[in-house]
Amino acid sequence: MVSSTIDHMVAVIAFLAALLLFIGLFNQTIQTAVIYQRHKALATKASDLLDTILLNPGIPEDWSISDEEPTGFGLQDPEFTQYRLSPFSLMRLCSSTGEPVYYEKTKMTYRYVNVGLGNCLIMPYDGVLNYSTALRLLGLNGSYGFQLTLTPMVTVLIAEMQANPLMLAVNVSGVGFSLARALVSYRLVAVLLNETQPRYITVPGESGMVYTDDQGCVTVPFSFSVDENVTYCLIAYAQLGGVTGVGSFVSEPSSSSSIIPFVKSLASGEVILAHSFDVPYTATFQEDLMYNVALLFVNENLEVQRTFLDGASGTVTSGQAYDPGVVDMPPHFSGTIVIAYKNAIDRGGLVLVPWGLSSLGFPVVFGGDPSKQEWVATDTRQVLVNGIAYQAKLALWSLEGYRVVSER
Amino acid sequence: MMRTIEVLVAIIIITGAFVISSFYATLPWPREVSPVNLKRLALTTLQMLDSDYSLSLAAFDIDNDVLWGNLQVALSASLPPNVVYNLTVYKVGVAEGGAELYVPQYSISNAASLGLTSDSSSYMVASSNVTFNVIPEKIGEREGSGTLYILNCSDAPGWWITGYTAHSLAEDLYRLLSPYFVKTVMVQNTAQLAQILKNQTLQGEKVMNAVVINTCGEAVPIPADYCKAPYNADSYARYFYFLGEKVREYNWTWASIVGYPFYYVSNTVIFAGPQDQNGWGIYGMIQTGDKGSISFLRGLDNQTYSTSGSAITDRKDRQNVTLTQVAIDACNYYGIYPSVYQTSTRAIADSIRSTYHLTVGIHILNPTSDGYNPGTLYNHVAAGTSTITGSFLALGLTRTPDIRLTAIGLLSYYKPRLYRSEYTAYDTSRLVVLQLGLVGGV
Repeated sequence: MVSSTIDHMVAVIAFLAALLLFIGLFNQTIQTAVIYQRHKALATKASDLLDTILLNPGIPEDWSISDEEPTGFGLQDPEFTQYRLSPFSLMRLCSSTGEPVYYEKTKMTYRYVNVGLGNCLIMPYDGVLNYSTALRLLGLNGSYGFQLTLTPMVTVLIAEMQANPLMLAVNVSGVGFSLARALVSYRLVAVLLNETQPRYITVPGESGMVYTDDQGCVTVPFSFSVDENVTYCLIAYAQLGGVTGVGSFVSEPSSSSSIIPFVKSLASGEVILAHSFDVPYTATFQEDLMYNVALLFVNENLEVQRTFLDGASGTVTSGQAYDPGVVDMPPHFSGTIVIAYKNAIDRGGLVLVPWGLSSLGFPVVFGGDPSKQEWVATDTRQVLVNGIAYQAKLALWSLEGYRVVSER
Repeated sequence: MMRTIEVLVAIIIITGAFVISSFYATLPWPREVSPVNLKRLALTTLQMLDSDYSLSLAAFDIDNDVLWGNLQVALSASLPPNVVYNLTVYKVGVAEGGAELYVPQYSISNAASLGLTSDSSSYMVASSNVTFNVIPEKIGEREGSGTLYILNCSDAPGWWITGYTAHSLAEDLYRLLSPYFVKTVMVQNTAQLAQILKNQTLQGEKVMNAVVINTCGEAVPIPADYCKAPYNADSYARYFYFLGEKVREYNWTWASIVGYPFYYVSNTVIFAGPQDQNGWGIYGMIQTGDKGSISFLRGLDNQTYSTSGSAITDRKDRQNVTLTQVAIDACNYYGIYPSVYQTSTRAIADSIRSTYHLTVGIHILNPTSDGYNPGTLYNHVAAGTSTITGSFLALGLTRTPDIRLTAIGLLSYYKPRLYRSEYTAYDTSRLVVLQLGLVGGV
């Protein structure tokens, strides 16, 4: 009787122990499978969301060139189908990179994005679309976070090899390969500083087309020497097999002060030209900067052309008592604004501003930070922004967690 | 002891179940859990390569090593380093029995195999040497008629065509509609209009069964021959009665493009007096008013001449009248896209159908709930017959006219077919397939 009872007890205990063990094992397998399913669902969501953003222009379609806040979020260029994005919609995204800048004379804060010497884009916070609004417009608020990155597919690096006579080296590479035998179309913009106003001068052979070698490099010589009275920049477009990229080079400024261009509004096309002593306001001393503005754009034959704008030249004086300069851009026109400036002792430089984000190959980083997330799904598309090839990558993560069983 | 043995057996069974289920419940590779959408990546890459037609050029020039070298460099440069590819061009042909046949022509790749995970997209490119034609069927071709008359009378001003001239509207109509008719004739002056009203051809065309579009809006050109008795009775309402008779006699389709139909008569030579203006300062025309449309319909229905009867149109502002589904379908078929939403202020009462023996050929704009038709093509079918004897397209929209609505109205009624070139015709298209694979990692 006793042995039978012991037998029963041992059997029951062993059975229960085994049962618990196997429930745990099965449970682990099932949990892993559920998590895998959630990850897969997130990847599908990332792909769908990326297409949603890239294949619709938003509501209204022209939100990028109006001062309205959109009621639907999308980046497609309304004049095209497929994966072609509006360069102005991208300008209106509040970049995750850059830093805030306050300008006393307009009493506004701006987002300052700089991608190298002389290349900057400064958009007002009031005029750009922020991440939380985009989340709300996409219906993701509280459930998902994302980061959209647009990177130019082609990198065009330009370096000065020698100044007398001027010789520049252009190096073209893609995401995973150098662009050998690529067509490079360039334009040199040279400015004389030792005159009343900065003056754009014509240089022999200032524009042209050359081909890169097998390493994606090409040297561009000019019969022109650079001295302390000259400042210059070079814009180069590279194209091969339907893939186009752009790069720029701006010579070192010879003055400590400069012009800082604030975009006032994409709808009105106004760009405010501020004296760098006013940003932030330092009240050191009063200085005049004479400026002259030109616009560069590329035509269908990939030729870089130059034109001038209304209110193209003037003087900006530092100090609270003086108004900043204003230059008007033609509406809906994509190009590069070139601002040449000089001070009273004939020292100065150049600032380039993209009007339409792709014109200088600016990258875009928009959204949250994926680095601290547990699981991030990504997807990639190749897109065109006003003819410039970009790679659009979306990182998406869930804000609702992935655990099947909640932790205590 | 027996119980313990039984439990051990049970444990062995459960262990077996776990092992077996674990064996079959294989978890996917991490790469499969969160995959990169290679299909989309391939498609967007192909679209990019063809953005300046580089891909199309290379696909039709497979012996050109420079083109293909450039394309391969561009492809390699645009894809991430961990993505391998295989791009193949297929010639599109036709097999026996009419099935499409794809024959590989050329292929480039940067790897011997495409790894564990791969996906592909296809893209059709067209030869730059081929033009894809659309050949429209001609209206009335089979019946031996098919004439389109566009009233482009230089001696007759228009009204309610604000922002346009009759001449510019006529040119637009010619561009839109002439491919669909056997013969399109611009009626250049009122003298030529008089000729066709007398069944005399202008350019050897058939007068019978023609379509006549009046580009003068609410005004109708009147030849000098008809600027006299009896046609001038009741402010020229009698002329409109005569027009109705001719539409019935010649089985014309008369198109009124905007506003009130038959509201004014216009002729700058005859109506040259200081009082000869329409009441709004436009000289060279006389206002007939509501009597014009009544007289026209009585003439169309072979009733005795009279101007009595209530006006067939009202002036109610009906905003957002919409295209009918038939018209929208026609827009898509013919590639003409006026706005779906229109404003009508001169809709025609549906009651005219019973009064003047009219049937609805087609509604271009949806009828309103209060019994008015903003845009309809009516057929006249005399009592006791089933033969159409004259038609009347009335677009009672407010100014300014959208001439595309007239075009869509006529096309959706006559339904001429479009014969399109086949994209799969021999050697006019090539299929490019880009297969991408991921290498490295799991």
